[in-house]
Amino acid sequence: MRASSFIAPAIPLHVREARRKRLIYGLLTAFFVITQILWVGAPVLMAVLWSLVDPEHPWSFPQLFPEKLSWAQWAYVFKYTNIVRALKTSYSVAPLAVLLSFVLSLPTAYVLGRKNIPGKKVFMLVVLLPIIMPGMVVALFLSRVFAAFHLTQSFFGLVLAHTLMGIPYMIRVLTTSFEAIPQDIIDAAENLGANTFVKIKDIFLPMVRPGLLAGMVFAFTTSIEEFNLTFVIGTPTFETIPTILYSFLGYNFIRTNASVVALIMMTPNIILLFIVERILKADYLSASLGKV
Amino acid sequence: MSRLVLKNLTKKFDDVVAVDHVNLEVEEGEFVTLLGPSGCGKTTTLRTIAGFYVPDEGEVYFNDRLMNNVPPNKRNTAMCFQSYALFPHMNVWENIAFGLKMRKIAEAEQKKRVQKALEMLSLVGFENRKPAQLSGGQQQRVALARAIVTEPDILLFDEPLSNLDAKLRVQVRVEIREMQKRLGITSIYVTHDQDEALAISDRIVVMNQGRIEQVGDPHTIYLYPKTAFVAGFIGIANIFTGRVRERQRNRLLLDAPFGQVWVQSEGMEARVGEEVRFSFRPEDMVLYREGMANRIRGTIVHAIFMGDSTDLFVDVQGQRLRARGGNVAYGGDVLKFRPGDLVDFGVEETAFRILI
Amino acid sequence: MDQKKDVALIHYLMILPGVGFIILFLGSSIFITVAQSFGLISVTGTSRFTLLNWKTLWERETIDSVLFSLKMGVLSSVGTLLFAFPVGLFLRKGGAGKRFLASLIKIPLFIPALVAAFLILNIISYHGIVNEVLLGLGFIKEPLRMLNDKFGWGVVAIQIWKNLPFVLLIVSASLASIRDDIIDAARNLGANNWAILFRIYIPLAMPGILVSMILMFIKAFGDFPITSVAGPTYPPSIALRMRNTATLFQEWDKAAVMGVIIIVTTLFMTWLYSRLAQAVEGGNP
Repeated sequence: MRASSFIAPAIPLHVREARRKRLIYGLLTAFFVITQILWVGAPVLMAVLWSLVDPEHPWSFPQLFPEKLSWAQWAYVFKYTNIVRALKTSYSVAPLAVLLSFVLSLPTAYVLGRKNIPGKKVFMLVVLLPIIMPGMVVALFLSRVFAAFHLTQSFFGLVLAHTLMGIPYMIRVLTTSFEAIPQDIIDAAENLGANTFVKIKDIFLPMVRPGLLAGMVFAFTTSIEEFNLTFVIGTPTFETIPTILYSFLGYNFIRTNASVVALIMMTPNIILLFIVERILKADYLSASLGKV
Repeated sequence: MSRLVLKNLTKKFDDVVAVDHVNLEVEEGEFVTLLGPSGCGKTTTLRTIAGFYVPDEGEVYFNDRLMNNVPPNKRNTAMCFQSYALFPHMNVWENIAFGLKMRKIAEAEQKKRVQKALEMLSLVGFENRKPAQLSGGQQQRVALARAIVTEPDILLFDEPLSNLDAKLRVQVRVEIREMQKRLGITSIYVTHDQDEALAISDRIVVMNQGRIEQVGDPHTIYLYPKTAFVAGFIGIANIFTGRVRERQRNRLLLDAPFGQVWVQSEGMEARVGEEVRFSFRPEDMVLYREGMANRIRGTIVHAIFMGDSTDLFVDVQGQRLRARGGNVAYGGDVLKFRPGDLVDFGVEETAFRILI
Repeated sequence: MDQKKDVALIHYLMILPGVGFIILFLGSSIFITVAQSFGLISVTGTSRFTLLNWKTLWERETIDSVLFSLKMGVLSSVGTLLFAFPVGLFLRKGGAGKRFLASLIKIPLFIPALVAAFLILNIISYHGIVNEVLLGLGFIKEPLRMLNDKFGWGVVAIQIWKNLPFVLLIVSASLASIRDDIIDAARNLGANNWAILFRIYIPLAMPGILVSMILMFIKAFGDFPITSVAGPTYPPSIALRMRNTATLFQEWDKAAVMGVIIIVTTLFMTWLYSRLAQAVEGGNP
């Protein structure tokens, strides 16, 4: 055998195969991540940029970035549109709706979470209905009902409507929380002499607190985002952030105004919901299934 | 039908060497058990044979065919999983027929084979049930049927009986073995239960920390353990180290921590003064009779009556020894031993095993 | 297995606030919708039972709107599933890169639907970034009309973007619940990747697939804001037509008929889902 015909041992096939698999896997992950970043980032970035375009230097093709950035649009929106009023309305209806939802949901969630009443399944389904039922239909014809009671174009009517949409989330999350309380703890408390009031104050309320927090956040954001009902029942007397945004998206599509309002609407939402996801367990995220 | 050869098989996970240069040859139709504690590499070895892992070093051969790069769905192996792994959305018939469907076997042939498997495993009448409607034992049998119906070259068992209760385990392991004998399929069986291994294997491969400690038939493994690990893992053993005091042609006098003993040393090259590790089984520690080579006097610490035998924990010069005897071996009076009793035991020279 | 039932008046009283509120408001709204579709409790003119309003069903415009909304419903649910399923499969096994990916994907979940509508219509509009990039790269000669287009692609795009995380969450959970040894067993028995996909992954993930698709369909079918903002001028979605018929033309009774159509379709889909779920349930633990 001549020296030149000696071939160094190649990397075994199975090792090469394993390396190739890892490479493909890594590339695939990178591909998904990059696609995702573009998929989510590009729209948001566009909105941010558009909101910061200086009115003296309109942004158009072929510029890649706006020539000049300024807060001028933001100032304009705050000064010349009803955004401030809408903000006031949105952020005063929401807390009230959340409070009302909580008060109405608490006893219901207790029974659904800890008692086995006949028809429970039906009740659980009913609780989901506001989320499933088509929004505009409910809104349109609820406004007829409200009209009969002079509740249209009224603050109270808005609160009622937002409560209706918040209750499902509140009930679902609270029910899960109540279900999770182990019976032994309640038995132990009773064994040690606790009466109903003490049970509520020292056992139930503290133990559902995390769920309560999640439910409140979901109900709050639902109220802030609520459009169909507000659009039919509230406008034009009452405007909320969503209805203002909608007005900028319709016939008078003013991209810059819409960008500003969109960001105003989006940012507190994201912050709040990130907090929820961080602090609470995944149960609550899945309990809000149907949060479309 | 297949011979199986593992050559220098090595598999690593990050820095852990799960299987360390394992060499093994399994004959056609043999039932070989991989036995060892958790983490010894037996399951990794099994899964490598199945094709779920690619070896880092070494080769797997089925009948001289190199299998290293053959994906798991192209090898003709069939595996029984610890959790049965039955497809929950398919009924018994569909589960069993799955492998045949994958091999694109003709409908008529499928029907024939599935029917035969149902009969062989007493599952006739259960065809339409879903796994959730079956007991553990029944699920086990379906898993078995699903495996054998494909007429695999090698049958693989991954601790299939662990999830069954004790009585069922004993019953089913015999059924598995008998079925395997009838079909003559080469089988590799993984378990950590040494009773199981002893009961049903042609040969046992004792593994520890990725390496093979000893391979042999059940008799040899139990009666002639080669290493301290094997001696201690299979059954119970008294394992000690002694210094050679005297050397005769066929036997050695050892200075052990509990006293001096004469042990048979066929073929062993040991010099005086050398340290030698040895073991003997509790059942070899009987009541002393005149003429026995070794007399061991100890104090009873615990006497545990097990029904058909008595387990004794004996203190001999500060060392803890285990003895065990049936009621006959201990003279018929089962309440004979009480803690504190001083008893003379005897162990024959031939009962000792020198370990490496 | 019969569990002890708690039957006490107090329990029903306690349920009353929450459930009662919903039944009161939702119920009255649906009641009015149905009633007005038959001419009762009419807002304008006299109230008497009539089937006349129902001839709306046969009108060209109504049919076009219903078909359009059905199309939006189907395309949105199927489209989102097609995007979500592969990602769900990919995310089945964990890993560092994957966790980051999962949080990224979740972001649209936190973005309100209207905002999502704006974000997407901003980039797919005639002078939006997508068109600019495609023009710049030379893929197209003139900008694509993706917004307010006749087919409704703009709406579908927004629905998919907004709802992908929702569907992904549900489908991922379903996929993750499939035990690894089942996949091993299938592979061991000779299944290649396609067989595993169609015989194992899809059947076992079916509950999750069904839930997410039906919920998405219902939402997209009855949608108002997104189609009014990004959809074609004709035909409008059935919800948009309904609202315009009521508030612009003041033909409430006719609008009620459309409302009933939407409600019935929603209920039908829910019923369909429960039937399918039961059929699938038989196999899944």
